Amino acid sequence: MSDKRVILVIEDERTISNFICRALTANNYKAIPSFRGKDGLSQFYSHSPDLVLLDLGLPDMDGMDILKELEELPQETPVIIISARDREAEKVKALDMGADDYIVKPFGVSELLARIRTTLRRADRLKQSQGVQRDVYQIKDLTVDVAKHQVLVGGEEIHFTQNEFKILELLCVHAGKVLTYDFILEHVWGPYGNTSNQILRVNMANIRRKLKENPSDPKYVLTELGIGYRMLED
Amino acid sequence: MRRMISRIYKRCGEILQYIPSLPRNLLVTFVFLCLAYLSSQALINHTGAENNSALVFVVAVILIALFTDGYRYGIVASLVGAFCINYFFMFPYRQFSLSYAGYPVAMLSMLAISGIVCALTTRVKNQAVEAMRREQKTRELYEMNEKLNREKTAIQLEADRETIRSNILRAVSHDLRTPLTSISGAAAVLLTCEEITTSEKNLSLVRDIKNDADALITMVENLLSITRIRDGTMPLTKREEMLEEVAGDAMLTVRRRFPEYSVSMELSDDILYLPMEPMLIKQVIINLLENAIRHSGDRDHIGLFLFRRDNWAVVEVRDQGKGVSPEVIQAVREGRQLERNLSGDSSRGMGIGLAVCQSIVKAHDGFFEVGNDREIGGAVFRFGLPMEEQDNE
Repeated sequence: MSDKRVILVIEDERTISNFICRALTANNYKAIPSFRGKDGLSQFYSHSPDLVLLDLGLPDMDGMDILKELEELPQETPVIIISARDREAEKVKALDMGADDYIVKPFGVSELLARIRTTLRRADRLKQSQGVQRDVYQIKDLTVDVAKHQVLVGGEEIHFTQNEFKILELLCVHAGKVLTYDFILEHVWGPYGNTSNQILRVNMANIRRKLKENPSDPKYVLTELGIGYRMLED
Repeated sequence: MRRMISRIYKRCGEILQYIPSLPRNLLVTFVFLCLAYLSSQALINHTGAENNSALVFVVAVILIALFTDGYRYGIVASLVGAFCINYFFMFPYRQFSLSYAGYPVAMLSMLAISGIVCALTTRVKNQAVEAMRREQKTRELYEMNEKLNREKTAIQLEADRETIRSNILRAVSHDLRTPLTSISGAAAVLLTCEEITTSEKNLSLVRDIKNDADALITMVENLLSITRIRDGTMPLTKREEMLEEVAGDAMLTVRRRFPEYSVSMELSDDILYLPMEPMLIKQVIINLLENAIRHSGDRDHIGLFLFRRDNWAVVEVRDQGKGVSPEVIQAVREGRQLERNLSGDSSRGMGIGLAVCQSIVKAHDGFFEVGNDREIGGAVFRFGLPMEEQDNE
């Protein structure tokens, strides 16, 4: 990458903003700090950053309103939400509104950098593919062939039920992004499926067993506790 | 009037209550009749034939009715009195006679008067007794009410104090979290700077800052958890969760914090989907793993096991280290809070760590056990949560 990627940090806690910006600069990003919501939006329009880090708890504006405004723009700039641990509903709402990822306070620098990398990579890929659906997804030694309805792990075929396959496919299509329970339920069982969370969770547990996944050391599917699932990228 | 009667009645009652009722009533009746007879005798000697003995006897009957139980003695006394008047104080003396005109009328009216007075007295007396009883009851109720009020105020005060205490604790913890995040974060940034990494002295200082900030973050998380449990006012916000996901998340946190330790997690085929407050259960698992890491002395064999036993979803943390002391096992068995100094060298708040585990598991109606493995050696920390909905599957 020739140019430095620009990241807008909308965070009112100066100390946190400070170390985030230092970490970003040290890792070859250009960081633009903003301590207020209104200022953040104007910074966004003047710099058109590649990614936005957004704290939901701002003093002058509801973070959700900023998110809504950003999502309505045609640029489709990815947004990562910064949120407190005990506000899961808020995170789920933000993700459903179109935020790309979230990170929970207190977080570590390496975790933050990893999320930023993943999100940027995903955004780049989306731009390149221009919404063209692929037929085969490859994640490490896992191959999901949508056309043939086939799943291979290390060349060996594993049988999945209809719904399990649909979940896997959905996760692959959005690899790298957190998918909320509601999002998955709606896309696999349909918007009027009236299905409970439990069905999804049990299906997921079965997928995990078939892939011989250990949730403490996930190779393919990462659990986002209380929020949803995320397919790791290759 | 009623008050006076009740006062007299009470005073005499106090004296007389030591004598059994039948002899007492007979004695009272006898004494008053004798007094009536004697005073009538005195009057007759004084005033001659024109006597007021009937009135004297009526008074005696009233008094008898007052100081005896029921109206029976009064009636008997009035009969005796009527006979006495006729016999002793009316012409012909010392002789019973109804032959003179007016005598039967006088006798009957005296009987009637004393009977009515007797009945009225009894009623007044009963009312007095009733009033006294009521007064007594009212007083008791009042006193009890006072006592309850006092207790209520005390409890309320204690609850208020507790609420204030945990609110302060929560506010402080919340406020600590942000600066601690930036301390730890800034230290992490420094750790990647060349100026720091080239000097071993600086490096170890910054590493200490980072480690201590992270340890404080853990402690703040624990404090936040405990204020949520101890509050009591706020019920757990349970929801159905896959235990393996919660445990996996806890494992990821621990691995990130202690990358140099090898901790493994073993799942059974049971699907453990049960109601819990996932953040709190995650905290319990993190605390138990950290406890094993810090205190067992074992670096390579710390294991987390999930399985189902009867209607319990069980989580076990095992190590092959030096094991737990009998004091800790004893304290856990008795449901006591673990003392800070019991958990070994007690580095950085692990004393409250196990206490938090116990509180959280208890709030989930689960069980918490600590022991040592007899064969391999090493400590076993185990807790179970009830599997509610899965019973009928």
